[in-house]
Amino acid sequence: MTTRAKILSVILFFVLMGSAFYLRVLTRRIFFRPPPEHTEEVARTRLSEAALQSATTPVQTATLYFPSFENGNLTEEQRSISWAASETDRIRQIVLALIEGSHQGSSRVLPPAASLRAVFLAADGTAYLDFSGQTRSDLRPGIASESLAVYAIVNSLAANIPAVKRVQILLDGQRVDTLGGHTDLTEPFAPGPARLAAGP
Amino acid sequence: MAAGLLVLMWPARALRSDNFVFYLPSTRAVIPLETIDQAQYLPLLPVLNVVGKVGAIQEKRETLKVWFDEIPLELRVNDKTVRVGKARLALAQPVRRPRSQWLVPVDFLAKILPQITRDKVEYQTGTRRIFVGNVKPVTFGVRVDRTGNGTRVTVQFSDKVTVNTASSNGKWYLYLGDQPVEPLEQSYRFQDSHLSEIQFDDQDGVPKLILTPAAGGLNFYPTLAEGGKILLADIVTPPPPSPQQPAPASQPTVATTPGEAAPPPAGEAAPAVAAGPPLPVVVLDSAHGGEDPGGRARDGALEKDLVAQLAARVRLAILATQKYRVVLTRVGDINVDLDHRETITNTARAVAFFSFHAGNLGITSPRVMVYSYRPPQAEEGDDVSKALLIPWAKIYQTQRQPSRQLATAVQQKFGQIPGVTADPPAEAPIRMLRSINAPAVAVEIGSLTEDADSAPFANPAFLQQIAGAVAAGLEAFRGGTT
Repeated sequence: MTTRAKILSVILFFVLMGSAFYLRVLTRRIFFRPPPEHTEEVARTRLSEAALQSATTPVQTATLYFPSFENGNLTEEQRSISWAASETDRIRQIVLALIEGSHQGSSRVLPPAASLRAVFLAADGTAYLDFSGQTRSDLRPGIASESLAVYAIVNSLAANIPAVKRVQILLDGQRVDTLGGHTDLTEPFAPGPARLAAGP
Repeated sequence: MAAGLLVLMWPARALRSDNFVFYLPSTRAVIPLETIDQAQYLPLLPVLNVVGKVGAIQEKRETLKVWFDEIPLELRVNDKTVRVGKARLALAQPVRRPRSQWLVPVDFLAKILPQITRDKVEYQTGTRRIFVGNVKPVTFGVRVDRTGNGTRVTVQFSDKVTVNTASSNGKWYLYLGDQPVEPLEQSYRFQDSHLSEIQFDDQDGVPKLILTPAAGGLNFYPTLAEGGKILLADIVTPPPPSPQQPAPASQPTVATTPGEAAPPPAGEAAPAVAAGPPLPVVVLDSAHGGEDPGGRARDGALEKDLVAQLAARVRLAILATQKYRVVLTRVGDINVDLDHRETITNTARAVAFFSFHAGNLGITSPRVMVYSYRPPQAEEGDDVSKALLIPWAKIYQTQRQPSRQLATAVQQKFGQIPGVTADPPAEAPIRMLRSINAPAVAVEIGSLTEDADSAPFANPAFLQQIAGAVAAGLEAFRGGTT
């Protein structure tokens, strides 16, 4: 074997080794990707990512609503958000902020495991929020908790995005009867009262 | 002689009594029940062969191993546990093997059958029928009204039925065709001069209603209306024999006395026995059930069990008033879908509906909230209250005010329970209340969360107070005394 042939063989060997290694990494990425951990940190990361995409717009104050089960009402909370350009991205930002949770000790709206698969905003002002099925399994059960959670989402969106008039919640792309057996999700929600009980 | 007497007098350990009916999409099967030590048993292999396919059987002296649709089941004589695959599931009674026949207690159907079959299983504990697979049983409600010369029975079915009538032993039999039927109540008794009882029976696999007249010599005229969804039956006192009154040429009814098929004219003499009006129906709904446990407390208490206990106490409290009949939307630990619960309520023509829940109501416990329905959209759209046909999804519009009044009446009674926080009546878009054609409220007790024990509100004394308050609130709403 000539020297030239030896050098070519060595180069070919390293190229083949490199290709095999890259193929292995690629295969692991495609077929063995671990499921993302649904933690508050992940929720914050996703929120930050959404905010970073619109870094050119100024930071503004958004009004969010979180449930207070003790009082049976929604409490208002201000949050600085760097708004995205499109309204569907803004809807996503609000929902992610709600998933992230209250900064003032109010109860959760949605579990950290909740993830928003898709958002659509129809011409008639109906926002369609398509949550993953996991959202249902980690919900706090009960009439009050489910109703307040849904109104927290709807009221937060309507308060910050004027184009949103109603909200239809879907699970895995499907219209469902309820989230956890209580709140009627068969039709879109208009913004509702901040308090379930009547009276003072 | 003595031995013969002993054999005759020896108490029977096993008595064959009733049948169990299995309703499947294309067929039905009747399997005899056996009673051993006051517990009801079913033969295992016939049951498995009805609902699926038994692959192989290995039987030893004390154990039986069965492969059912490739799932291994292992049973031991006099053992309360059954191995299903790698799991061990407990039964209420031990497995028996009299006369070389393997018997399992009836709760096998609720605890193990759903684990080994892919089909939907619907079984209410305490009944003798089970629906396996895509079977939608028909339910029905009964109403009895006095007419001028008799009694009119109205049976409203949740779906179309066919009816064939017959008369035997002084009773009228209404055979309900091939439709699987799930009765809300097994029998209805009346204080009426013409009708004393309506009983549902399907022990031979044929669903039928058996009407027992209150007296002999009455005529019976059943007709189907609304395409088979309503059965109207008139029970009338026959007119005195008169040669001027011939029987009609064609009479689509059954008469108990041949030749006296014509109903008497209006204005007949009043019956000897004063008839009492039929009692109004109250429907109680225990949320969740079966594979849907609802909420869970830190101590493991499940919402589905708590609300079932509460509904049972409310039922007794309401029955104690002797003013109502009570229908439950679920009996036992089964998951009844919301549509079916609505059908049960609307078919029963309830005068009030209560749905019981337990949930997260904050750190204050015990606490009670009462809700009536609020639609998801503030603007309710078209007012359907005066429409001829009202969609079921909008029926709440006709019941909002009475539902609010019922919620207020019940909440006021909750407020009188010492140590209980009773919030003002609330409104929430609760799916279960949407299509109920009756004053309807949901009662939520709490706080049931995974961060706290259920003890404050799960104790029997508290549940009894809540039950009494519901009954008193119902009485106040209906205008009675409390």
